[in-house]
Amino acid sequence: MTSFQSTLGEDAGIAEELAESQRAISIAEFFEKNKHMLGFDSGARGLVTAVKEAVDNALDATEEAGIAPDVYVEITEAGDYYRLVVEDNGPGITREQIPKVFGKLLYGSRFHKREQNRGQQGIGISAAVLYSQLTSGKPAKITSRTQGSADAQYFELIVDTDSNEPEIDAATTTSWDRPHGTRIELEMEANMRARSQLHDYIKHTAVVNPHARFELREPGLDEPLKFERATDQLPEETEEIRPHPHGVELGTLIKMLSATDSYSISGFLQEEFTRVGQKTSDKVIDNFRDRHYGREMSWTTPEDADLEGVVEEAVANKSAAATDWFADRVTETLADRERTAHHELAAVVGTVADDTEAEFDETFGETVRENAVEAAWDALTGETERLTTDLHAVVDDATSTRKDDATVRGLAERIADKFVAGDDPRHRLARDTLDDYVARSADRVEEALDATLGETARENVADAVWTLTRTVPDDPPRIRDVADDRDTASELLEAMRETDILAPPTDCLSPITAELVEAGLRKEYDADFYAAATRDADVHGGDPFIVEAGIAYGGEIPNDGSVDVLRFANRVPLVYQRGACATTDVVKSIGWRNYGLDQSGGSGLPSGPAVVTVHVASTNVPFTSESKDALANVPEIEDEIELAIREAARELKSYLNRRRSLQKRRRKQEVLGDILPRMADKVSEVTGRDRPNIDGALARIMNNVSVERTVEAGTVTLTVENHSDRSEDLDVTDIVSVEPTRVSDGASVIDMEGEWFVQWSPSVSAGETATLTYEVGTDAEFDLDVDGVEAEKLTVNA
Amino acid sequence: MSESTSSDDARDRLIDLAAEFYDQFERGEIPTMTLPTRTKNNIEYDEDSGVWVYGDRTSTRSANSVRGARKLLKAAYTIEFLARQLDEDRSSTLRELYYLSESWDAEEAHFSDQDESNQLVEDLEIVSGATREDFHMRPEESGATLMGPLLLREQTRRGEREIHCQKDVGEGGYQIPNNPDTIEFLDHDIDFALCVETGGMRDRLVENGFDEEYNTMVVHLKGQPARATRRITKRIHDELDVPVVVFTDGDPWSYRIYGSVAYGSIKSAHLSEYLATPEARFVGIQPADIVDYDLPTDPLAESDVNALESELSDPRFQTDYWEEQIELQLDIGKKAEQQALASRGLDFVTDEYLPTRLDEMGVL
Repeated sequence: MTSFQSTLGEDAGIAEELAESQRAISIAEFFEKNKHMLGFDSGARGLVTAVKEAVDNALDATEEAGIAPDVYVEITEAGDYYRLVVEDNGPGITREQIPKVFGKLLYGSRFHKREQNRGQQGIGISAAVLYSQLTSGKPAKITSRTQGSADAQYFELIVDTDSNEPEIDAATTTSWDRPHGTRIELEMEANMRARSQLHDYIKHTAVVNPHARFELREPGLDEPLKFERATDQLPEETEEIRPHPHGVELGTLIKMLSATDSYSISGFLQEEFTRVGQKTSDKVIDNFRDRHYGREMSWTTPEDADLEGVVEEAVANKSAAATDWFADRVTETLADRERTAHHELAAVVGTVADDTEAEFDETFGETVRENAVEAAWDALTGETERLTTDLHAVVDDATSTRKDDATVRGLAERIADKFVAGDDPRHRLARDTLDDYVARSADRVEEALDATLGETARENVADAVWTLTRTVPDDPPRIRDVADDRDTASELLEAMRETDILAPPTDCLSPITAELVEAGLRKEYDADFYAAATRDADVHGGDPFIVEAGIAYGGEIPNDGSVDVLRFANRVPLVYQRGACATTDVVKSIGWRNYGLDQSGGSGLPSGPAVVTVHVASTNVPFTSESKDALANVPEIEDEIELAIREAARELKSYLNRRRSLQKRRRKQEVLGDILPRMADKVSEVTGRDRPNIDGALARIMNNVSVERTVEAGTVTLTVENHSDRSEDLDVTDIVSVEPTRVSDGASVIDMEGEWFVQWSPSVSAGETATLTYEVGTDAEFDLDVDGVEAEKLTVNA
Repeated sequence: MSESTSSDDARDRLIDLAAEFYDQFERGEIPTMTLPTRTKNNIEYDEDSGVWVYGDRTSTRSANSVRGARKLLKAAYTIEFLARQLDEDRSSTLRELYYLSESWDAEEAHFSDQDESNQLVEDLEIVSGATREDFHMRPEESGATLMGPLLLREQTRRGEREIHCQKDVGEGGYQIPNNPDTIEFLDHDIDFALCVETGGMRDRLVENGFDEEYNTMVVHLKGQPARATRRITKRIHDELDVPVVVFTDGDPWSYRIYGSVAYGSIKSAHLSEYLATPEARFVGIQPADIVDYDLPTDPLAESDVNALESELSDPRFQTDYWEEQIELQLDIGKKAEQQALASRGLDFVTDEYLPTRLDEMGVL
């Protein structure tokens, strides 16, 4: 084809031509073309997503207002379209806000909040409105009534895709039987192919929101699907938290820097971030200074140098006594110090000068002081040979013993050269510069001496030298300067990340709690066993998160293939993209055979009649995409998911073990229950005696607890024999038709209108027997009830 | 146990056993049956009788486990059956007992194979102190035979028969009945009894007239000998006062055949006094013969080596003679059949090998 270049010359107006078709696009327009990013890629899925967005909003709104949510979802066929109605009993939305909430994308209260919420971006419901108007051409119909207002507000609106602003078709007031709440009605092109996902979504939402009531009506249902509340306990209200220093990005930081009222960095850090106090802010600022100004190298004080003389010489026009005294003190102080950096030297000189002024009533001005510092510093660092000796010891310590002395000395010498030749006579340098010194020196040494100085050796040397450098006392730059300079801001960010800071507080999170996870499962799954675990909060990228897991097993849960994995993020069920979700990956990676579930090949989804739920609550749940279908593989979160699941699975394991042993016991009891009576029959046949009583033998074989009643001349004896290998605590209740007397110790007798409940709670150790007695008149009727021992382990003969 | 118990006595003993189960039930105890442990580690030499009997170690069948309970249920049903059989003065075979269990109402009481029913009868022998013959239980005919100068009287179902085990029988010889105690020895010319393992060798001896030439009672063991064969061998030895020698293949399994004739088997050590002939001696094939006569051989298989090593630790074989022979065999790593002697000609065994060996042993 003809190249573009060749046509350029002939037609110079092409750029202008192109420019004509270039214009800004509105966010609404963008999403119109990228519906899939928000989960509206097909009619089937669009309907589920719309329900999801509306229900999420309803739950967030009601909870925020402290109202136990009552959510009604209705889907009906409306000609070629489907009509979706979602109603809640939330606080309602004010007249001014309604159009923006529903008719403007990216409008919302949550985007800037660090708080656990279902919705985060403020896209969801308006995207649903947009989807419905695009497919059916009908506006969304919103009814909302705030608490205490006489009427409800009614709007019909669409999103103006050019301007991303609501376009109101109708705005009136109307009467509504709900005292407060919001109702949205959407008509859209859709189908019910995703019915099972829709049901799953509602059902799973009910599981993790046991405090909410749901009702779903759709054309395929003869009767509405209702999910009742399992608890009145609303989720704990979440606190909004300030960002954590480990969790901000550069752009955000710059924005925060520009917006803050603080003047100092210290104030800024403490004001704007969570978990930053004076100490932490000092640490951050030190790290920031090191990055921004570099650090100063410190050197040992030479024993041979004539420091005193040098300093004396530098001090001009002062009395001999004061000069002597001054020089003497400076020399002495430096000799006492192990190492001294330039700013430390300046401080020493300053202090001694002050003292001298006080002692001799002479002025030691700036110039004198500067001269003294310069002279002393020159004495400390002036000779390359001295610095080499100093560094030699450091390099020797930092390198392996196999390096010969020539190499070590060569390296020390060359690094010393770099300091001397460096830009800053104060030997102030950034870590990068130091690394560069070391690298260049090492290269030279390798060339000159044919030695090898690998990466590790170089790093060790640089590390060793770096520890001898000192943070400079310069004031950190002002907030303004940091905000204006991207590089400086980046230095601050690095300093923040580098500093160890306490994990963020977790009152911004609202876990369901293990107890309610279990209650939710109990409500929706008729299983034999439930377990749940809530982990302690952890942090990923500055955002705190909590993982909870639950397992339901057996009962009515179908045993057909893989177990169901219910995934939740901030109490919202994730219905699509199961395979792409970190939760699924973790479930697959666990060796379920250890926990008593089948797992073909020892990895992958386990099979069996079980449901595994995982809930991740965070101020910022990392999703793989905007449609919020799958958790991203963040290692910190994956680790916690695994630990939470394992915690619940351990309970499952002990339950299954126990169940298996009881099953075995039951089978044994069944078989022996067949064999022993027949054997007894045979031996009585052969011996010609009456059939023997085999209960005692049976109880003993089964290591059971046997309870036997004998009545003799009005005395009732209950004999409790424990044949098991552990102590048993039972409740033995004999219900008698005649008032009992002389009841043995520890019993309670309750008169229940002509029946007497005689109850003991004996604790019988392994192999022991307890005897419980009372007396009754003649003609008593009895009914024995024993609790506290599994039916499989109990033999009652009464 | 050598004197046999009467039918009534046996029946009473069985009922006592059932009564013991009954009492255990009544006392609220778990029914159990205690038996001597039937392994080679629990047999010991009885100085008085010169045979190997069970030691002190016992194992317990207990209704504690499903397995044990099944065994005891089967025991109760078998006791009932045997008691009735004795009552009605009838008899049955071990195999019939196995099939009969199928007719019992309790499915759990059915035997899963004949080894199980055989073993249970042995258990009952041990705990009751009676023999299965006392219970009127017969094994299948084993087909073992006698050939030699012996006149005897047998109680058959069709009355008494006098039979001479050489003159009145065909080439096949006299078939040993299931209960040899119904036989009465009348007269004999036997110098010694020769128990032969294989049919081929037995036929060779008879064809070559070895029984006539040396006044030999040739007892055909037919492999591992049945109880009746061992019992009649013992009776020939004890009642006719003739030496008994055993002639088998030269491999570890055959040494066990000799062992069960001479010392009693591990499985029926409770009957050793009644069945074993401690004076019986081993003719061959000895490992030494394999070397001396350069017999055609097969290499020892792994299982052979294991069996030989197991015999070294078997108390019945802990004599200088057997230790030397077994060590030798392990050393040469070979085994030979009786018929291997035919490599020196068909008459070699009767003309050369046996006369030489028996002379060495002082039998001839």
